Amino acid sequence: MIEISPRSSVGWQAQALAYVLALICGFATSALLIALSGASVTEGFGALYEGAFGSQEALLQSLVAATPLIFTGLATVIAFRAEIWSIGQEGQMFAGAMCGYWISLVLGAVTGWIAVPAILVAAMLGGAVMGGLCGWLKTRFQVNEIISTVMLNYVIVYLLSYLLAGGPWTEEGSTSYHQTPVFSENIRLPLIIAEVKLHFGFVLALLAAALCWVILKKTPLGFEIRALGFNPTALRFKGVNVTRTVLVVMCFSGALAALAGVSEIFGVNYRLRGDVMTGLGFTGIIVGMIGGLNPIGTVIAALLFGALANGSLYMNVLSDIPPSLVPAMQGILLLFFLSASVLVRYSIQFRRVAQ
Amino acid sequence: MTALLSPEILMSIMVAAMGVATVILLAAIGELVTERAGIWNMGVEGTMLTGCLMAYLAMVATGSPVLAGLTAIAGGLVAGLLIGFLTVTLRVDHFVTGLGFNLLASGLTLFWFRSYVGGGKPPTYDTIDKSPIPLLSDIPVLGPILFDQHLLTYVAFLSIPFIAFFLRRTTYGLETRAAGENPQFLEAKGLSVAKRQYSALLFGSALTALGGAFLMFAFADQFRPDISGGRGWLAIVAVIAGNWRPVRTMIAVLVFAILDSLAVHAQGVGVNVPYQFFLMLPYVASILLLVMIRSSSGQPAKLGVPYLRH
Repeated sequence: MIEISPRSSVGWQAQALAYVLALICGFATSALLIALSGASVTEGFGALYEGAFGSQEALLQSLVAATPLIFTGLATVIAFRAEIWSIGQEGQMFAGAMCGYWISLVLGAVTGWIAVPAILVAAMLGGAVMGGLCGWLKTRFQVNEIISTVMLNYVIVYLLSYLLAGGPWTEEGSTSYHQTPVFSENIRLPLIIAEVKLHFGFVLALLAAALCWVILKKTPLGFEIRALGFNPTALRFKGVNVTRTVLVVMCFSGALAALAGVSEIFGVNYRLRGDVMTGLGFTGIIVGMIGGLNPIGTVIAALLFGALANGSLYMNVLSDIPPSLVPAMQGILLLFFLSASVLVRYSIQFRRVAQ
Repeated sequence: MTALLSPEILMSIMVAAMGVATVILLAAIGELVTERAGIWNMGVEGTMLTGCLMAYLAMVATGSPVLAGLTAIAGGLVAGLLIGFLTVTLRVDHFVTGLGFNLLASGLTLFWFRSYVGGGKPPTYDTIDKSPIPLLSDIPVLGPILFDQHLLTYVAFLSIPFIAFFLRRTTYGLETRAAGENPQFLEAKGLSVAKRQYSALLFGSALTALGGAFLMFAFADQFRPDISGGRGWLAIVAVIAGNWRPVRTMIAVLVFAILDSLAVHAQGVGVNVPYQFFLMLPYVASILLLVMIRSSSGQPAKLGVPYLRH
């Protein structure tokens, strides 16, 4: 029988050790997975490393791949810190990209310094409305936010499918690809390093992380968010409008997730299509949790996962291992991190107990 | 639109709905028992997906639906053990565990499927025939809907009274419910809360995986990534909408199943509403259902609260 009791305090060394151990266990299990699939472990991990960190170019491309994950990771942090289990990052990201595209159609050939901010704002509004809707359903009708956000994820995917395949945004002449025509220069995100498409979204992501850190640590809203997760009843007694806080959190989280869509569509792909965004919202959940629901930890986790995602492209070319190894690895890492977080918070004793 | 309302199409929608309902119902029954034991298992979608892949692999390898079903159940048991280890033994938050497990299952099944297929075409198999009940299946209207279905469909619907009886009348059923309502009471009687929660999770996960297997048997001739397509989530909604009661949960499942098969038929008949809007229906309906049904009187008192012995 395993006995678990809470620990009073843990040093940062023990915490760091637990997480390093989780990382090692995660990679060891993934190695086992590769071996079981009949491929060479060294070849697979070698190609993965080479593609992620092997050259300066690879390194910069990993930053590009990390950018949307920083946004969806931060969206997770803001919601989960308040113990609001939103898994709508995927749908909110789609909604953001769609609203950004829609406003770009409305604006037409306006110059870039008007068009790009307008796209960013429209996308954030779209994501905020999606998130806010679930917050409203939660506070007004007690609809569980996990359910409402998951269901809206499916709805928005079908909506995009309609718009691109048969609906008003269908590219003329193109039937096989569900995508819009390539965007004109004026609505693309400005590039920082053109060769690897490192775009302005990366800077924006770092700024967003800093903003989230300041909000969580230094502002009354941050206090309310943390207290909401800790003890909503006490918060209510302090005279805080909990309903309003939930709505603010969900809108804020949705707006952050929406920026992930903008950065992928307007920074990298230059056309709206669904499959290039698929999964980035869900990966953001893992990133946020592995980042310890802390903005700085989230940036670090996003950089790691961005590198993995970028490396998987190279691995796909060089070895027989399918690139779907990476989502499997991400899930494995997450479960080990969850277990490690328990090791940190509780002390575990093994002893015999009857029945 | 009127084409959808012709008697033949309506009939066909209802017949198909019973099949779709089987998938969601098996998972919903499993989740119902699990939640009554106090575990808010959010890993249903991932468990169902695991069942789908296991059934597919076994079906291709052996061609036997019985072995495929058993393999899926084995996969479900592994899923249940893992979720149980995290929630019951380690007391990780139930929501976080479920989300984590779903992401793991989505990634792992995809990786396994891709390495299995390699670069080639995924192998297919024949979907399973129905098992009509003699005489009864000849009854007009009701016969084809109720008595010309797959074996597992009968099992799923017939299990409703058994589950209701188990939870209300048997000792172990009452103890399972006590784990969700008042675990201290169980503990005080010298009974293990963990044991009841584990067994509920294992039972629930096995049924959920079997639901996934049925999805493969009746509707698909090969695995696709994320083929479960949210049906595991619909099972969770059905339990909440059904106020944690077996018969009401079944009714909620039927609503989703009818909407689901309506979407499939709308594509076939060629109504001039884009088919994507029909595909949205079950998901939109689930939110509306939760908005309308506000009663949560049947929710176990300690649902989702990790039990820490004092």
